[in-house]
Amino acid sequence: MRSIQVEDREIPLDKEGFLRNLGDWSPAVAEQLARAEGIELTEDHWQVIRLLQEFYREFELSPAMRPLVKYAGQHLGADKGRSIYLMQLFPPSPAKVASKIAGLPKPTNCL
Amino acid sequence: MAKRLLALCRQAPYGNALAREGLEAVLAAAAMDQAADLLFLGDGVFQLLDDQRAEAIEQKNLRRNLQALPIFGVETVHICERSLLERGIDAGQLQIPGAGLKLIADTSRFIAGYDSVLSF
Amino acid sequence: MTLHIVSKSPYSSSALTDCIGSFAEGDALLLIEDGVYALSGPASEKITISPVYCLEADTDARGLSIPENIQAIDDARWVSLCTEHNPIVSWFK
Repeated sequence: MRSIQVEDREIPLDKEGFLRNLGDWSPAVAEQLARAEGIELTEDHWQVIRLLQEFYREFELSPAMRPLVKYAGQHLGADKGRSIYLMQLFPPSPAKVASKIAGLPKPTNCL
Repeated sequence: MAKRLLALCRQAPYGNALAREGLEAVLAAAAMDQAADLLFLGDGVFQLLDDQRAEAIEQKNLRRNLQALPIFGVETVHICERSLLERGIDAGQLQIPGAGLKLIADTSRFIAGYDSVLSF
Repeated sequence: MTLHIVSKSPYSSSALTDCIGSFAEGDALLLIEDGVYALSGPASEKITISPVYCLEADTDARGLSIPENIQAIDDARWVSLCTEHNPIVSWFK
């Protein structure tokens, strides 16, 4: 089984690298999940991560790309509600990659 | 011309998986830019009741999921008026933030306006 | 016009009632699988709409007789009904 080691804890992952137990998430876990994706987290990344967690609290869903773009536009402003912006932060598939780092379940409708 | 797609939602939210599967199908289609319309009919209107606390039976809150419809591009939700009446539900109590609710009196004519109809 | 297909018994499911509530003039109803039990007993009196078809293989298999106002059809006729109507609504469950 896949796992990552964070602060002496063994955190289990599914075969696509999503957390098996959503309760395992912490900022340190996010840093490490991001590194596995080749991403160094900046404040811009954290803003989107918090946004995704907010989305999940509101709808109990992980967003697909289109709703994520729309939601970012509503909450972070029009300049950040663009797929190119999210694509630069979380390549190559922002909804999926950012959901993974934010500790959300895999988007069920992420085809 | 794009095909007009209707999803009939006929099941109460937690007794079986169909209500959730229907919603997931609609959200998946919407994410692919194939927005479907929804018609809540029969026991399906129970999905719309407020204040569902599904965690009490260790399920995800379907009502919360429904609130995601507008952000997925589904901005109007259709409801069979007779089904509300039969179940003693006052349409005035129902609301989904960001979505318009439209009561349908003649469901047969409404359904006939679609190219494809999925029943859940 | 719409082709309605009901595949559940009216004695255990709201499918037939829901369907009849959404049936318009010019529509057609096809009973298949356990939906054919609508031809038997008190439920048959609820069927005041027409035309109503039933899949003969399913009534045969279940030992049901077919009332005069109901048209028994085979798979080929089912296919042609599907091509003659739009949309098609399956009232399963």
